Amino acid sequence: MKYIKYLFIRVLKITTLVGLVFMSTTQIYAQDNTKEDALISLDFTEKNNIKTIKATVTNKIGEPVEELDLYFFVKRTFSLLPIGDVFNTTDENGEVEVEFPKDLPASDTEGSVVILVKILESDLYNDLTVETTKKWGVPISDKEYHQQDERSLWAAAANAPMSLIVSISIMILSVWYVIFYILYKLYIISKIKPSKL
Amino acid sequence: MKKSIPEKQLFNSTKERDLLGHIVKTSIRYKIWVAILLLFIVFGMYGYYRQIRYGLIVTAMRDYTSWGIYISNFVFFVAVSLVGSLFSSILKLNKNEWAKPLIRISEIIAVAAIICAAVIIIIDMGRPDRFIYVFKFGRIQSPIIWDVIIISTYLVISFILLYISLLPDIAICRDRLTAIPKWKKKLYKIAAINWSNQPEQVLIIKKIGRILGITVLPVAFAIHTVTSWLFATTWRPGWDSTNLGPYFVSGAFMVGAAVIIFAMYFVRKYLNLKSYITTTHFDHMGKLLVLLSLVYFYFNINEYLGPAFKMVGVEGEHITELFVGKYAPMYWLVQIFGLVLPIVFLLFKNLRKPVPIVIISAFVILGAWFKRFLIVIPSLQHPYLPIQGVDESYLHYIPTWEEWAITMASFASLLLIITILIKLFPVIPIQELENPIEETSNESKKLKNEIH
Repeated sequence: MKYIKYLFIRVLKITTLVGLVFMSTTQIYAQDNTKEDALISLDFTEKNNIKTIKATVTNKIGEPVEELDLYFFVKRTFSLLPIGDVFNTTDENGEVEVEFPKDLPASDTEGSVVILVKILESDLYNDLTVETTKKWGVPISDKEYHQQDERSLWAAAANAPMSLIVSISIMILSVWYVIFYILYKLYIISKIKPSKL
Repeated sequence: MKKSIPEKQLFNSTKERDLLGHIVKTSIRYKIWVAILLLFIVFGMYGYYRQIRYGLIVTAMRDYTSWGIYISNFVFFVAVSLVGSLFSSILKLNKNEWAKPLIRISEIIAVAAIICAAVIIIIDMGRPDRFIYVFKFGRIQSPIIWDVIIISTYLVISFILLYISLLPDIAICRDRLTAIPKWKKKLYKIAAINWSNQPEQVLIIKKIGRILGITVLPVAFAIHTVTSWLFATTWRPGWDSTNLGPYFVSGAFMVGAAVIIFAMYFVRKYLNLKSYITTTHFDHMGKLLVLLSLVYFYFNINEYLGPAFKMVGVEGEHITELFVGKYAPMYWLVQIFGLVLPIVFLLFKNLRKPVPIVIISAFVILGAWFKRFLIVIPSLQHPYLPIQGVDESYLHYIPTWEEWAITMASFASLLLIITILIKLFPVIPIQELENPIEETSNESKKLKNEIH
């Protein structure tokens, strides 16, 4: 009898725990389902040599979204460079302004930079990325741009220094010439027939 | 299934019986030895399976120590492979007659070592399936590409060197060995490429032997110099040295000589070749080892004195770590027991006898392996640009069991390749090409000359 009572308490404990786990997951799911899409519109202004990005966030019925953190980035060669403050939160009009740095090098001679604005891991809105290309970077000079095509130790395979290509080729060819010569001679050896005694 | 041996093997001479006997007769000792080696290889393959399955995370290599014992082992194998050129080129071209019976062993070891070196590089890759990219996207500016080119070249040359020295003896195997399985007969027939001791054939093979003997030398120097450049062109303390090329090459010749002594001791013992590999050979090899060790000792002083005198920045930290720090016990054990004491001991004639010299060589070989560990790992732990807030595991490197298992398997593979080659072919050259025509008739006379 004692054991049955003990067993009953254990089963009750376990079902309660399992129930709690399920409840919390359903709660998470519920939360996920309530997330909605937001809309970011960007406005770029340049006044007195200060470049500003203004992002306006609205919900699906067009109302401004207040107190939402936005993340601003500039695309670099290998990763995204964050710009703006640590937190860039929208105001009551759903707006937030970020100053664009003056000294970011661009990837081409025209000064193009790719600017990204993101909503990341918000409790209420789905993740979103808006991407725009602006000519706000410091353009690289023609000379610098064409340096990529110059022959150097750090260039791509096709632009290896001529001296290196020539010297390595001579070394490889001379050694492999000897190797093939020897293989040819071995072939000659195989063709020599034993003399009849 | 029972193997049928066609007939009882008859030999024309004692020399033939001595040098070919082991090919016909397979002892139980040989089978046990091969089984042990295979066991190590299978265990290593399990370690490698885990590495492929879970990635390089199963090793202790991290962002700082990105080259571990695989690469130090690679450098060791490349070093050992240089021994082929030491005998086939340097000693042969200098007409060191005494070294002749050792040429074959040195070439066999060179082939085995360079195969293992090439394989260990692929093992070190996290994604070995991408190895082909090295050829597809390789940049001629990269020392790694130089290494790939030179290793493949040296691999081919080592094979040819061994093959042309073997060719007349393969023909002897083809002609004289009757009590061997069919596949072996076929193997000798194909490999002998119609060799029939014709004067024209002898002339050609002697000529190409000389050409190759000369060609292999710069290639051998290049292979280990390029291996040293893999380090010298990477900006890390301890590697930023113009001395690294000769330092590596001289170290390679030293360990090569020690490996030959080690190998000839066991070949002599287990194949009963006491009349062919004599105590004089051990004596000469001992003297050669002293000479090569002295050269290496000189480059060691060059390598450490400058940075130790200046003790600049991270370079100083690296030297401190080696001299009095974490790696000091290993460093001094290697330098004293693997370099200084062998030089001193081998100056005494009595210690150049087979048993003492093989023990000394074992210390030289062990020292050489750990020396490569000391060249690769401590340098990597002192980057010029330290990473902030690194994980604890970056700061030290203790190889995992998978790494040890794979490394042991690579050694087992080296020994297995050597064992199989020795089992298949005569390890001491039978034919003296100088007098090819009188070969058979003068067999007994020549044998007498060899022994006395």
